[in-house]
Amino acid sequence: MSQTDTPPEQGLIAYKVDRVLDETNTDTKILVLARQDGRSDSFPIWIGAAEGHAIKLALDTTLTPRPTSHDLIKSLVEHLNVKVRRIVIGDVKNSTYYATVHLENNGVERTVDARPSDAISLALRTHAPLYVTEDVLARRNTANLDSWLAKQDNKNSTSQQEVGES
Amino acid sequence: MITQMHLKGLMFDPYNNAYIVVLRDEDGQEMLPIWVGKTEAGAISMALENVAPPRPMTHDFMKSILDAYDAKVISVVITDLNENTYFAKIHLMYEDSEYTVDARPSDAIALALRSNAPVFAKETVLNKQSSEELEQWLENLKPEDFGKLDS
Repeated sequence: MSQTDTPPEQGLIAYKVDRVLDETNTDTKILVLARQDGRSDSFPIWIGAAEGHAIKLALDTTLTPRPTSHDLIKSLVEHLNVKVRRIVIGDVKNSTYYATVHLENNGVERTVDARPSDAISLALRTHAPLYVTEDVLARRNTANLDSWLAKQDNKNSTSQQEVGES
Repeated sequence: MITQMHLKGLMFDPYNNAYIVVLRDEDGQEMLPIWVGKTEAGAISMALENVAPPRPMTHDFMKSILDAYDAKVISVVITDLNENTYFAKIHLMYEDSEYTVDARPSDAIALALRSNAPVFAKETVLNKQSSEELEQWLENLKPEDFGKLDS
């Protein structure tokens, strides 16, 4: 993802997709975001298996024999000459995150609500920057996060690269 | 020549562990079965049953983007069949210009249902599809297999 150095608005923190993890025993995947500035913060978002797969394909820049649903979205916006300016994760309610996709066409800006997984799948394919609002970072439920991180560190200590450094 | 097709149903195919979207023309002469994955079947089923999901699903998001710029889906055409793979085109109208975008039939149909746009099939596709084999296959299915979707 190409990222701009200065956020377009105050209160936005630039993030990037770090990795997609499999959650054992369930049909879900965990999308892990990391801060663009390198400061330690793993931000997990639980997503569906299909959504996780779509993000993985974009991360690995895998060419699929058929265009996927998100490739089609990219193709549609390109045909209409619409640019994906940025993705903002701007709300959280009961551990559910909400994203907004900022679009622009000939100076006309529009925002569209989306699940973070769809928004990020499109952002990766269109090289659009990803932001999380400070408000969301402050309000997210970190109670489960610490135990989750501890579990991940145990499980992945040998296979995964460490992102957390003090 | 193109023929308008209607969505007859969605079935589970246990042999291939996939779903089949069954399209049929007005008078039931032509039938087109299209095998799709579980996620794609879910996207079609939700639009068929008019279920409003608590969160916008991928094709709802797709539709929202088109709506944001007032782009309209005019029609969807199943244009080709090659080694059991179907190809589709989405016809869009945006600012007095028409655009044609390639898509998988499952995505195209999921979007057409959300846009109340008609679905057509090219005659060459209908001719290629040997309906004989399909009819035999369909005869073995029980009526209750139709319109069902395991989720």
